[in-house]
Amino acid sequence: MLVMRRRAGESVLVGDDIEIQVLQVTGTRVKLGINAPASVLIVRREVQITLSENQTAAQSVSPHAIESLLNALPALAAPLAHDGECQEFDETNNLSLS
Amino acid sequence: MQFRGAFGSRIATSVPLMPKIRTKCFQETDYADSSLFHFPSGLPGFDRERAFVFLSRPDSQPLLFMQSVLTPELCFVLLPVFAVAPQYRLVLDEEALADLHLPPESQPIIGEDILCAVIVCARGNQEPPTVNLLAPVVVNLHDRIGIQAIQTQSGYSHRHPLAAKEELASCS
Repeated sequence: MLVMRRRAGESVLVGDDIEIQVLQVTGTRVKLGINAPASVLIVRREVQITLSENQTAAQSVSPHAIESLLNALPALAAPLAHDGECQEFDETNNLSLS
Repeated sequence: MQFRGAFGSRIATSVPLMPKIRTKCFQETDYADSSLFHFPSGLPGFDRERAFVFLSRPDSQPLLFMQSVLTPELCFVLLPVFAVAPQYRLVLDEEALADLHLPPESQPIIGEDILCAVIVCARGNQEPPTVNLLAPVVVNLHDRIGIQAIQTQSGYSHRHPLAAKEELASCS
């Protein structure tokens, strides 16, 4: 990995048309400004991870997957079922506190 | 499909008492207005999905099914975060609080003010199911508005394996 030291107000160039400027440094946080063509997708890394994981999770849902999930979860289901309030959505929320 | 494309806040009050929805896991089913949630920004990867119905079934506790209103084939399977990680610490920054219509610097209580649940990924075959602790789904139970609240500085994994039975027993 290429490592550079930059101060607030300084920038780096990536290729011909991408500029990343350090706007502000406050404690442990750095505010960046990025100039790039509209065609370049810029996204926080954790958003990209979440996006990809959401898609995988959505594709993984099937009757078979749910059945095997429930089989793997008896230890989760047991303490929650004891409350006896498992019909309604709002009560399900309360169950999460137990 | 009377809800298709209609995401106004009037949805909840303008539909019949027990509206129906086409679902991925339960065919067509009734749902209560109180289980319809509005996601103004959608979810990462699903920007157009702005409304979800949260369903649960006695025979599939403690799973929650987050069914898209727009797309019958889209359903996420969720678990209440404390069922998976009893010590979980949810951090909502100012932006997240505002998105959830919660006052700045408020500390909403999970189970009273908000629901916090994690998306399950059942990978199938030999791979164990995982949950995304990095990006829980958080909904305001009063305003019925939701976001996926990415926990940027938490160190939580987006592929947290569901705990073994022994571990769970010691936590409960």
